[in-house]
Amino acid sequence: MLPACDGSPPPTHTEAARLSPNERMIFERFAEVYIPTEGTNLRPLSEVPYLDNIDRILAFLDAPTLDEFHTGMKLFDYGSFVVGLYFARFANLSPEDRLEYIRRWYAGGETQRAIVGLIDKLVALGYWQDVEAARRVGYQGPVSDEAKILKLGNAPMPIAIAEDIEAP
Amino acid sequence: MTDPSTDIPPPVPVLRVQQPADMPDRGLKLDADAVVIGSGAGGAVAAYELSRAGAKVVVLEAGPYVKSQQFTERLIEAFHTLYEEGGNQVNKSGDLVVLQGKCVGGSTVVNAAVCFRAPDKVLEAWGEDHGLDDLSPEAMALYFERVEKNLRIHPNGPHEINLNGRLIMEGAKRVGIPAAPVSRNIAHCALTGHCLSGCKTDRKQSMLVTYLPWASELGATILSGTRAETFEVTNGRVTQVNAVATDASGSTKPVAVKAGLVVVAAGAVQTPLLFQKNAIGNSSGLIGRNFACHPSTAMIAVHKDDIYGWLGATITTYAGNIEDPKEGSFLLEAGFLGPMSLTTGSGGGVGREYTDFIQKSNRFLAAVTLIHDHNVGRVYMENGRKRIDYDLDDRDFPSLQEAFRNAAKIYFAAGAERVFLPTTRRTVIESPDQIDSVINSLENGKHLYKLASYHPQGTMRMGKDPKKSVVGPDGRMHDLDNVYVVDASLFPTTLLVNPQETIYAMASYLSDRMLARA
Repeated sequence: MLPACDGSPPPTHTEAARLSPNERMIFERFAEVYIPTEGTNLRPLSEVPYLDNIDRILAFLDAPTLDEFHTGMKLFDYGSFVVGLYFARFANLSPEDRLEYIRRWYAGGETQRAIVGLIDKLVALGYWQDVEAARRVGYQGPVSDEAKILKLGNAPMPIAIAEDIEAP
Repeated sequence: MTDPSTDIPPPVPVLRVQQPADMPDRGLKLDADAVVIGSGAGGAVAAYELSRAGAKVVVLEAGPYVKSQQFTERLIEAFHTLYEEGGNQVNKSGDLVVLQGKCVGGSTVVNAAVCFRAPDKVLEAWGEDHGLDDLSPEAMALYFERVEKNLRIHPNGPHEINLNGRLIMEGAKRVGIPAAPVSRNIAHCALTGHCLSGCKTDRKQSMLVTYLPWASELGATILSGTRAETFEVTNGRVTQVNAVATDASGSTKPVAVKAGLVVVAAGAVQTPLLFQKNAIGNSSGLIGRNFACHPSTAMIAVHKDDIYGWLGATITTYAGNIEDPKEGSFLLEAGFLGPMSLTTGSGGGVGREYTDFIQKSNRFLAAVTLIHDHNVGRVYMENGRKRIDYDLDDRDFPSLQEAFRNAAKIYFAAGAERVFLPTTRRTVIESPDQIDSVINSLENGKHLYKLASYHPQGTMRMGKDPKKSVVGPDGRMHDLDNVYVVDASLFPTTLLVNPQETIYAMASYLSDRMLARA
């Protein structure tokens, strides 16, 4: 967060937004197979505080939306008893089964696609907002302060050009 | 600008914003000639034009005042501080992010600075179909010229167009699709590529550094963190706007503004909600209806060479036939904001296929696709929750397919090795001969595509017939004698092109109508 809103309305952070320990585990298990950083040039997941970043994003959601989120996480975690008949929670599946399960949800019905798409988006947002992670793929991140680029300030008052517009 | 007779630069106008913490605990009671609700493209222009004519103006902005030196060039932090709902505003189905600025300056602070005039054919259709003959291309040209001069709108020069933009423009020309540099409201662009996080060095000529400081310099009072809530109405006129200012601690202060003129410019989502909440101005039953939004995707291809598409201006060139928007029309705008931007659209898959994909980011050709969608959506409150009921219409799906098809053709013509469609499941086109078969196999449906909207429009439709529209041709609401609307909610149809320049010009035009009637 920026300390930029002095005197202005704060975002609606609530404690209810915090991920439960179980939800953190689901996100960890998801991220491990969604962004397998081992053997790549990517910043290791273990070095990126993506779970805390997700928590901060969720803090902007209103209470009913958060309730839907928590319900969706449970459906995803326990859906593996039905979808694919793994007879275990998603969080307890092997990496190979987790990946297969995720793909099943992408190929599933509207609700499944909505839930897996949200988890996918939150993991990506949580990971890629890390400046060092983004720099590993060449993205430069913030530049203006480092390069000391001059601020131009407010534009001067315009010169009146209304003469060419007839008064209505 | 320098006075050539003296070479002395004119004084720089200062933006003075009263924040909730600056207000007395008892709140504020103000009298004004005009109260303007919203400080984005429409509200800021109206505030300045009315102030320039000598009116006493009060601007109410629900979002915070964030100075440009506080921008961090980190998109997620910008979402949290400068965007509606922290960047999480979505449609009812949850598969389309509707991005809007919520700060002093509104969406102009966080857009990509892309400017187009409304296509002549669109303005002509508004005249024929909605009785808006006064908004002819000839009449509006003068207002477009006015805002283009004030906001230094100009086509990108060669130094502002990176390799991604050049390749896409050249590829488009090879396959016979019109393409050109985009115009932007920018001065001496520093080419950082961080427009969507707010321009930290004030190059983008957003309302934060132009019309708002100009209005402030002319005496306008600008209140941030102050949300308009209720109207007091007497004999078909709004006589007072009641607002709530909320400070950093969450404590609130009442703000009441009595004014003879009320100008609403809260954007195509918030403006209809305000009138619905007050249950006024809606004899047509159309407030909140006819929502459209130019549903967009980020479409990626992997090129054979390094491109580093994030280096340089955010949006550089465009491709598409924008002169005559109709069924199937699309627009591609070349630009890539880095890996963060792909969280709303990539089609890169999961697991190793994703890491292989994302590690090629420096070789991505990238463009935003927009389509000329129908006004099929609706904005309303349901059990205390804001709802944007909008799904991609079956009539618009072929337009999305055309955007994908033509983008793929352009990418391959520009040297792409493979093209990734912005689908939730990984969909890859490996060669030009696969384009039609892959794209023809796509279906419309919820949560099948990674969609975002930057251009909500249409929820306070403008037109001559009070039974078929909410606002009249002069911007005044049919049902409320002294209430004007000056944001994109007015547009009877979508533009296909980015709407900000049209909002500026319309606000300028409608301000003249207000002053003529005053």
